[in-house]
Amino acid sequence: MPDVARIFSGQESNETVTRILWDIRFPRATAVLILGGALSLAGYLLQTFFNNPIAGPFVLGISSGAKMVVALVMVFLMGRGIRVTSASMIFAAFIGAMLSMGFVLLMSHRIHNMSMLVVSGVMIGYICSAVTELVVTFADDADIVNLHNWSRGSFSGMTWESVKVMTVVVAATFLAVFLMSKPLGAYQLGDAYARNVGVNLQLLRVCIVIFSSILSACIVAFAGPISFVGIAVPQLVKKLLNTTEPILMIPACFVGGSAFCLFCDLLAKTILAPTELSISTVTAIFGAPVVLWIIKGRKA
Amino acid sequence: MKNYYFSTKKMCVGYDNKLLIKDMEIKLREGEILCLIGPNGAGKSTVLKSIAGQLGLLGGTVYLGEDDLSEMKAEELAKRMSVVFTEKVRVELKSCRDMVATGRYPYTGWFGILSEEDELIVDEVMELTHITDLSEKDFDKISDGQKQRVMLARAICQEPEIVVLDEPTSYLDIKYKLEFLLLLQEMREKRGLTVIMSLHELELAKIVSDKILCLKGEYVERYGTPEEIFESDFIELLFDMNEKDFIGNERLHAYMKQIGKYER
Repeated sequence: MPDVARIFSGQESNETVTRILWDIRFPRATAVLILGGALSLAGYLLQTFFNNPIAGPFVLGISSGAKMVVALVMVFLMGRGIRVTSASMIFAAFIGAMLSMGFVLLMSHRIHNMSMLVVSGVMIGYICSAVTELVVTFADDADIVNLHNWSRGSFSGMTWESVKVMTVVVAATFLAVFLMSKPLGAYQLGDAYARNVGVNLQLLRVCIVIFSSILSACIVAFAGPISFVGIAVPQLVKKLLNTTEPILMIPACFVGGSAFCLFCDLLAKTILAPTELSISTVTAIFGAPVVLWIIKGRKA
Repeated sequence: MKNYYFSTKKMCVGYDNKLLIKDMEIKLREGEILCLIGPNGAGKSTVLKSIAGQLGLLGGTVYLGEDDLSEMKAEELAKRMSVVFTEKVRVELKSCRDMVATGRYPYTGWFGILSEEDELIVDEVMELTHITDLSEKDFDKISDGQKQRVMLARAICQEPEIVVLDEPTSYLDIKYKLEFLLLLQEMREKRGLTVIMSLHELELAKIVSDKILCLKGEYVERYGTPEEIFESDFIELLFDMNEKDFIGNERLHAYMKQIGKYER
């Protein structure tokens, strides 16, 4: 801590410490704030969309879908010695997210049972993870370490370059979602009443699907799939603020997600230092009990 | 089309492309109350949903004044027509006042923040519908009857010219049923509110409506004033009731005969 203060005030001249802070720690912390917020917001959007408190990018298999396509693209491009840019990673992840989302939507047309929807999401997740594992297993040795770390979810190895890209994407999406708070509020009343007050339901649905997929894609492209943040944080924030108004929930979920992920990332780095835990291990420890508590608290 | 506030022309309704009722012709003047009656499953809800633009028409046109409803902008329709349906509304952490306030949606700005005027209207409507005492109660934790009154207040808060109600009295006790019908008549006198609703209570339909639409089978069975509907054995016919089944039970028999009659 004193080191950090000294670097900020310009007194510290130790090159190594400065480098570590500027090139490794700060980009990572910034990325955690941005992606954590994005993850939580994606969860909130999906929960609103499906009117289901335990929906989220991870349980619905959207993260895994994104992961699968990213892994395929990475292995394909790396095998040919082509450098993978952040933007193309996000794009690949977005395609994957939309694939899973499309499947979940198809299922939700057939089944109106909320728990079955989650089960089908989890199944999609498993299928995508299996494909990913397969790809990783057959990948070149050099790629494996890289891929393996990423496919378990981790905030390590962030550069300012990727932070820049994710900031632009997430900030733009956040803004767009925030501008939708009014129709989202009406959407919570159910289709009939939303339509009656003049909401264009089809447009709104398409927007929610696309924006939540972009957010999920961004997280997966940079940090891999991270579980439970998307479910747990919006629920905690809701209880904390005692409201479901989107205009408050959207910014609050973002901040809550940032804080939650920063805390989990800190633990992931320090508990077993110098070994680093995968971020999902930590988020699951704190997030899963929240999910159980939500399920328990629900009326049948 | 002239002089009628609400009219349909050859309206065909149904869902999933399955035709349910054909060629409906409804004509209502401003401030008239129309009741839909008919046996369970006759398609009352389907008709109401189609009128409210919730279900696509399978043919024909619905007019509000001179305007074709299907060509109207959603925001404009929202300011002219509001609805109360039977579907359960599941919301979390919303007070009853919040629920009523959602009726102001078409009038608020981009972020949906209520103006002082909106707040006043909400208070006024809650007073008018006698639900001020529910104001701070959690909508999720009140009874079905109370919910129905809140949803009705929400619909009025939308300041419509016409309101479409699906079985608005079903969870209400007798006092609130009558209070509700009184409110509707007040609204039509003060604001010229036109009402289209389905009712299960025939004796209520008889006394509040200006027009009654009877549904059964794939055409409108009958459409007219209460005098025209409640005559001879039509109600028995409409509901497939057989007088003979009741002959052993004097009271039920008398009740059945009395329901089908119109008394001035």
